[in-house]
Amino acid sequence: MRLLVLEDEPALRESLVQQFHGAGFTIDQAADGVEGEFAGLEYPVDVAVVDLGLPRRSGLDAIRAWRKAGKSFPVLILTARDSWQEKVSGLDAGADDYVTKPFRFEEVLARVQALLRRSGGWSQPLLRSGGVELDTRSQQVRVDGAPVELTAFEYRLLEYLMLRAGQVISKSELTEKLYEQDFERDSNTIEVFIGRLRRKLDPDGKRQPIETLRGRGYRVARE
Amino acid sequence: MARAAPSLQARLLVALALLLLAAAAIAAWSLESWYRDLGLRAREDVLEAQVIALISSADIGPDGRLLPQNLVEPRLATPGSGLYAEILGARGSWRSPSAVGSGLNLAAQPAAGERRFEHARLADGTRVLGLSLGIRWELADGGTRDFVVRAAASLEPWYREIARVRAWLATGSILLALFLLGGLAFALRFALRPLRRLESEIVDIEAGRREGLGPEWPRELAGVTGNLNALLTGERKRLERYRATLGNLAHSLKTPLAAMRSLLERGQAEPAALAPQLDRMQDIVQHQLKRAVFGGTGATLIDLPVQEPLEQLRGALAKVYADKPVRVALAIAPGTAYPIDPGDFLELAGNLMDNAWKYCRGEIVVRVTPWTSAEWRRPGLAVDVEDDGHGIPPVERQRVLERGVRADESVAGQGIGLSVAREIASAYSGTLEIGDGRLGGARVTLRLPGR
Repeated sequence: MRLLVLEDEPALRESLVQQFHGAGFTIDQAADGVEGEFAGLEYPVDVAVVDLGLPRRSGLDAIRAWRKAGKSFPVLILTARDSWQEKVSGLDAGADDYVTKPFRFEEVLARVQALLRRSGGWSQPLLRSGGVELDTRSQQVRVDGAPVELTAFEYRLLEYLMLRAGQVISKSELTEKLYEQDFERDSNTIEVFIGRLRRKLDPDGKRQPIETLRGRGYRVARE
Repeated sequence: MARAAPSLQARLLVALALLLLAAAAIAAWSLESWYRDLGLRAREDVLEAQVIALISSADIGPDGRLLPQNLVEPRLATPGSGLYAEILGARGSWRSPSAVGSGLNLAAQPAAGERRFEHARLADGTRVLGLSLGIRWELADGGTRDFVVRAAASLEPWYREIARVRAWLATGSILLALFLLGGLAFALRFALRPLRRLESEIVDIEAGRREGLGPEWPRELAGVTGNLNALLTGERKRLERYRATLGNLAHSLKTPLAAMRSLLERGQAEPAALAPQLDRMQDIVQHQLKRAVFGGTGATLIDLPVQEPLEQLRGALAKVYADKPVRVALAIAPGTAYPIDPGDFLELAGNLMDNAWKYCRGEIVVRVTPWTSAEWRRPGLAVDVEDDGHGIPPVERQRVLERGVRADESVAGQGIGLSVAREIASAYSGTLEIGDGRLGGARVTLRLPGR
């Protein structure tokens, strides 16, 4: 999952970047509204966390610019003022949820995960497809009720596919979303990871939880 | 210090005085010229009558002159009487005895049938008005002969009369102007008395001798004084609220501070031990800030149409509670507006709707109506928010409205929305009540008074 962090306070931004990174996100970050607006328009962002009070251009303006350009990724706003006026103006500009400063990271993470889940069309934190169950809160995967141990990258890969269940996801999209910007990209690695995921989720090859569409990408069935 | 601008009363008096003087001058001048015109016309008529009388009594004498046969007008026979006549002809002229030695010299030589008036002076400087009439006399033999018949009258008595009238008019109009000015000054003092009262009451308020403006102001000032009083009340309430917030904040921070200090002193200052205290302090700050954000007062506010903010709130809450779809009906009387700070209204309605959304099962009704009363020139506002949740039991209601008000109360978590809303409402002298709704859940009624 590719997350854009827009926050001008360096300590807070760093801590958000680190903790989201730890939670398995690929991060883009910006410290002012102009850069942030550009990042949101140009990078394949899945979700953005935006502070409203930014230098050079306000967070509200950046959100409006994204929405005007047709970007529909969910946006979580961070606001220092706990007033409805502030929240309403943010949500009205196109944001999807808010968290009031100061906040605990768990709160922000939960909101971001809920936004991602909802933008994928899931109304519950528990994603299910063909006997595979993925809990976005505890980051646990079960197959027919039995827990399956996945590496961090495998989990991110499966979560990405399951959040977009029913959609065909290309290999290049997966590399873009799951690797850092400056990471060397090689779509063969994705094939390797998909193979490993299949073996872990479906050792005897009966379920075929991840379908391959030749030349187009992968798909997890939507129930 | 800048020089004070002239008082309203002085401005009005000076302006009115100038206006009155101008009006009096114009009136006197036009009266005088009307009188003069009339007088001149009368004198002209007299001269004309004299000339006609002269002609009718005249006949051609043996020497060919035209002569009056008898002088009907005795003044013509008396030298220096002020009335003079002469008849000029080709064969000689006639002059009335009154004109002898007077130096009468009228210049006009009108042709037959013509007449001319002129002003002239006698030898002694007497101003006269003269009329010269040209006539054609029919002779017995059928021939004709032209004459000029003249009459002149002294204007001196009349000029003296005009001077008297002028003096009388000037005195009269000045007296009238003075009288009117005096009356106006009195009327102004009387009319502006409430303003002076306002000034002195404001001085008293500044000096702390009174809390607000007294009652019973003229209609024109009632709006201003009402607003001033609302502003004062609002400011006073705000000040009290700030004091209370500050006090609460300081007091409630003491406990976690004390806990941290004791942890430090016991050498147990590892992050895990400090974190709960930090969390608590964070909660306290957030909570007290929430209570302090609003700040509108009723005086300087313009009408806020309530439809749009309520729709914005519905949209915002639908996003925040995306996992809980709720049917929200907004029933708003068209054009409903109320003078309230937009932020305060959003805060009020936001807290009420957020609360309803939290506790409803799937349906909320927001009803907004103007609240009218005979005492108010502008209506108040009534907002009902109902939901289909479990409702709030009567015994709980007061507590819910007062939650978090006292400093020593636990502030952890939520549930202060309604009590914050009640505080904002009371800043606008309004009320918040909890009752039973028609949907089976709670009905929260907000009432903001009119003015």
